Order: sequence, then structure tokens, then C-alpha cells
Amino acid sequence: MSISLSPWIWISALLSLAVFSFLYKDNPFYRFAEHLFIGVANGYAVTFYYHNILVPTLFDPLFRQGKLLYIIPFIIGILYFTRFIPRISWLVRIPIGITIGYYVGASIPATTQAFIIKQIQGTVLTSTNFQAWNAGSWGIVWSVIVFIGVFCSLSYFYFSKEHKGVLGVTSRIGILFVMIGFGAAFGYTVMARISLLIGRLQFLLGDWLGIIQ
Amino acid sequence: MKIVERLTKIDRRIIYLVLAIVVLIPLISRSPERVRVMPPVEKLYNAVDTIPKDKVLIIDFGYAPQDMPELEPMGFALLRHAFEKRIKVLALCLYVQPLGLAQKALTEVTEEFNSVAQSNTDSIIYGRDYVFLGWQPPPLIPMLGMGISITNVYPADYYGNKTDTLSLMKDVKNYNDVALLVSLSAGSIPRHWVAYAQNRFGVAVAAGVTAVSAADFYQYYQTGQFTGLMTGMKGAAEYEELVETRLNIKKSRKASEALPSLTYGHLVMIAFIIIGNIGYFVQRKRRQK
Amino acid sequence: MKRTFPLFLVFIFGILGIIPFIIPHPIVQNLDESIRNDILKILVAFALVLGLGSLLRVHMDKIKRKRQNWQYSWILIISFLVSSIIGLFGGVAGAGPLPTFIGSFHFDIQTLYENIFMPLGATMFALLAFFMASASYRAFRARSYEATLLLITAFIVMLGIIPLGYKISPHLPSFAQWIMTVPNVAGQRGILLGIALGMIATSLKIILGIERSWLGGGE
Repeated sequence: MSISLSPWIWISALLSLAVFSFLYKDNPFYRFAEHLFIGVANGYAVTFYYHNILVPTLFDPLFRQGKLLYIIPFIIGILYFTRFIPRISWLVRIPIGITIGYYVGASIPATTQAFIIKQIQGTVLTSTNFQAWNAGSWGIVWSVIVFIGVFCSLSYFYFSKEHKGVLGVTSRIGILFVMIGFGAAFGYTVMARISLLIGRLQFLLGDWLGIIQ
Repeated sequence: MKIVERLTKIDRRIIYLVLAIVVLIPLISRSPERVRVMPPVEKLYNAVDTIPKDKVLIIDFGYAPQDMPELEPMGFALLRHAFEKRIKVLALCLYVQPLGLAQKALTEVTEEFNSVAQSNTDSIIYGRDYVFLGWQPPPLIPMLGMGISITNVYPADYYGNKTDTLSLMKDVKNYNDVALLVSLSAGSIPRHWVAYAQNRFGVAVAAGVTAVSAADFYQYYQTGQFTGLMTGMKGAAEYEELVETRLNIKKSRKASEALPSLTYGHLVMIAFIIIGNIGYFVQRKRRQK
Repeated sequence: MKRTFPLFLVFIFGILGIIPFIIPHPIVQNLDESIRNDILKILVAFALVLGLGSLLRVHMDKIKRKRQNWQYSWILIISFLVSSIIGLFGGVAGAGPLPTFIGSFHFDIQTLYENIFMPLGATMFALLAFFMASASYRAFRARSYEATLLLITAFIVMLGIIPLGYKISPHLPSFAQWIMTVPNVAGQRGILLGIALGMIATSLKIILGIERSWLGGGE
């Protein structure tokens, strides 16, 4: 066991223990650590926001390279601050409208292609999909299961008609597939959360106390 | 029956203590476990391994401190793989939080290689072998912009150097010069790489994701939209296994070292759920009587 | 005007967002690149300032009105100011005009990130392991067939992930992998298709001005 002599490792370790103390109950050490975290996180963001974005994107082109056209987006960006002036606060809708408009416009073809068309292509019963499993003739069985599962899961979320008769049967099958998906997600979530704990313990036992080599 | 009642009313702090002890002891007493590599990880490894010399690998470092235990080992293993095979790397971040972790991974892995390098050719040189492009919000800008020109999106790199002066960037213009893009992310960013970058420009995308979001991403792997997929700490351990066995790189394997603790952590979770359900069924039976 | 002009802008920029996906002509692609690099990049920079400003305003207000736990707001503001000064004047790699070391003790922005931000962020999320264990113990009940199926699937996956799973049965890890790649894909894909269709519908409603909640209240 060789305890670290680095002051920063000690600071990191004590801050970690301050956060862990919340498990017993809320206390001033935890609150201190929480507020310190938000302060430093935002200070870090400001640093890179200035050096990596403001300077190369706005200040350099506008003030050093003389690209005066950048005045236009500069003024539109300033309109964000009209939010704090009630008389002209409606002007904030201009930069928001430009940003939202472009984003939702760009998302329509992207979503259609990647999340709908490609997913349907991966679901339909074609020889390409059978072979993609690399499982020989079992590939046909897996593809049929996926096809039935997708169709039935979609039918479960169709609420415009009562779930009776054929729709009732397919939606019952659909919910089973959804439950399997959620069970798989929960199993993986357990791994994720325990991994986070292991990561912290690796630091405390390894870097700080030197128990793990 | 009193025992059953007691078992259903265990104080939460006892649960915390049991979990902590069960996870802590294997970390001290057990050595790293070997893992069986699953096809999604093997596919990703092979995709990186076969990157041509005239193309680059883009790594999107998208993990913040809270995702470190799962995704940092992936980042380290990927960099070791790329640097060992002398694959040129472009690193970038779509958010501000991962910047420091990306910088840490690049610096530490570069130092690992340079500490044993015999000459300039063996060394990993910034600007020649890898470039850290930094952060350029919002994410949509690099995703779409790099299809036209990478240096237009990133006029300066993380350190403030003009990107068009770096030797690596002289041969890399846009996605046409990129063989593979690997997104290490805790959120939904990998699917956005697929939707925007792959959809429009045809770049191959692979992902390393946290276990929380893993279940959502298998559908993209099934359609072939992801060339490969690493999921959670287990996925990281599998890639570490491949890097060690196929490239003979014997370095610290954080994810593999954690597997014994993960094993007992899972068993304890299963035990808690079973105990809770036993108590529930016993009490339900009693109420029905 | 106060509502019409922004709606008009959303429509125009929405169309400008869609067209480059369909028309590969260089004029269209260059216009698209200009919109992103010359307009959106700068607008987002200002949006970030707004977010930071709001955070500081909330905490200054808390201190002024001496609300509950107002003292901790000083910690936030002081740590924000100190780290900002170190980052802005000390530079990204400690190469700025402000010296960020005393002897061998460094305090540049990367050091603050690795030794304060990183451990705090990581530990806060590490708490989730404990909360999840407690919540699973208390609330995860096999009340119905569906819940039982969920539970059994979770157990199979949890055992299949760990090395012990192979010792229980050599087929268990492969079976867990099969669950992820076949039935899980089927269930999740149904959900994804529904969400994607909803996203497209909402996006179209925003562009066409039918969905106006983003305008906020007022005139």
C-alpha cells in the first residue's frame, strides 16, 4: 500500500468522499462539492467557449480579417439578449427561429432515411437480410422473428382502434417483445451503474491509497 | 415468517454497504478476467485494422466524467490500436465536457508509445500522426460540415494551431478521406452521425456506447448502419482483449480489471431482486388468505 | 409582425435545411455551408452566453434575497470566477499570459478539470449504483406475466454479460447476445419507428407554422 503524496490526488479523493457522504444523508460537505462542481464546470466551458469558438469564429474574422459581413450574424446573435428587455423581448424569436428552422429542416430527410427507411429495409424478409445474420438457415428464422416483433410492437402503439380481435392478439405479442427489450435494457443498465461505482473505487483504491497496483 | 418480513424491510444503508463491500473486495483480491469477444466488437476491431494508409480514423470523444469507467477504456484501446498500426487519427468532441478527457487519452497514449520509441519514425508526433480538432458546437455543424471541408469547420485545432498548416490535414479534406468514424458516446450522438454524416456523405460509422443506451443501438448494428459496436464495460474489455492478444500490447486494462467486481455486483443485484420478490409473494399469499 | 416574421424565418430556414439533402449542386451545398459556418455557429455562441448568464443571475438573486442555502451560491460564483480567469488568461494548454504553476504545483485549466470536475462528476453518477440497488430491491416486482418476462430477460442478460455466465453454461453469453440482437431489436425498432414518425410530423408542423409553442407567450 503506497498512499499518494500528490496534493491534487488528495483533493480529488476528498471531494469524491464528500459526494459519497450523501449516501448517509444530505450534509454541508456534499453541498459544497455540488456547488464547486457546477462552478468549475462552467468556468471550464467559458474557457473553451472563448478560445475555441468566439475567437476563431467571430473575433478573428470580424476584427482581424476584416470580414465585415460577419456583422450580420453578430447583430442577430445579440438579439438573444433582448430577452431581458420586456419591451423588445419578441426579437429573441428571430435567432431562435433561424436555429430551430434549420435544425428541424435538416432533421426531416435525415430521420426519414436513417430511422425509417433503413430500419424498414432491415426488417423486411429479403435474402440480403437472411444472410446478414451469418447464421445459415437460422438467419431466416431470426429475420421472421424480427419482422413479427416489429409489426406487433407497432400494433401495440396503435391506439386509434380498440385492441380486440386480430389487433388484440398482435398487440399482446408486441408488448412481450417490448418487455424483452426493456428487460435487456435493464440488465445492461445494471452493468452501467455498477461500472460507474467500480470506476470511482479504482481511483480511490489505486491512485489514492495505492492498494490496487 | 418474521425472517421473511425482516428481509423485505432491509434499511437502504445496509443495501449500500453490502453493494460497496461486494464490489470493493474483488478489486483488491482478483486479477483481470479474460473475456470472450462477441461479433459486434470483433467487427469493429477488423474495420479499424483494415483502414488503408491513405485514409484516417475519426474518433468522436463524447464521454464526460460520469461515463469514464465504460468509455475511457474504449478510447484508450482504440488509440493504442490506431497508433500501433500507424493509422492517422483525427480526434474531436461535440460537447465541451469531454474535451479534457480526450486530451488526457491522447496525451497518455502518445506518451506510452513515445517512451519506448527509438526514432522519430517510431514516435507519435502531433500534427503528423494525429490531430485534436477540439470542440465546435452545435454538433450538426461538424457532422454536416466535414462532408465539404474539415478545415472550414475547424479553422484552428484544440491548441489554437491553424489546421491547414498541419501536415496530416494537407491530405485530409473531407469524409472522402475518412475510412471510419467511431463515436464514443453516452447519449444518442452515434445515431445522429448515422443520420447526418453517413446518410448524406456515406462515411462508415461505428460506436462505443454506455450500457444504459446499448439496447437502443443494436438495431443500427443489425441494419449495417454501424460497422461495429462496443457496449459498456464488457465491450471495452473485449476490445482490450483483442488489442492485447492480436497486437501484443500489454498495458493496463481498466475494463478487464473491473470484471470480477462487475460479476459480484450483478450477483448481488439479482439476489436483492429475488429477496424483494420472495417477500412480496409471501405477503401477497398471506393477504389472499 | 412580432409572430409572423419569426414564423416566416422558420419556414425559410426549414426549407434551406431540407434542400441540400436533395440537391447536390455546388451552389446549394456552398449556401448550406455558409448558413452553418457563418450564421449558426455564431448564433449558438450567443445562446451559450445566455445559458451561463442565467445561471449566474439565479445564484446572485439567491444571495441577494438570502434564500435557503444561499451561502453555497458563493462557492459556485467564486469557483466559476477563479476557473474562468485561470482558463481565459492561463490559456488552454497553460500557454497564456497568466502563469498557472508555483514550483511543481500546477493549477492550469486541464489540472482543475482532471482533479476537481472529473472526480466530482464521476462520483455523483457513481451514487446511482446504490440508488438503483435500493430501488430494484424495493420496487422491482413480478406482479404480472409481462413484468416476469422483463425480470427473466434482465437476469439472463445480466448473467450472460459476466464471465461467470460462461461457467454456468457455455451457451448463456451467446443466448444473451441473441436476445440483444433479435427480440430486443424487434421491440426497440417498433418504438423507434413510432418516435421517428412523430419527430417528422412535429418538424413539419414547426416549419409550416402549425406548432408555435417555441414562440413563447406574449404578443
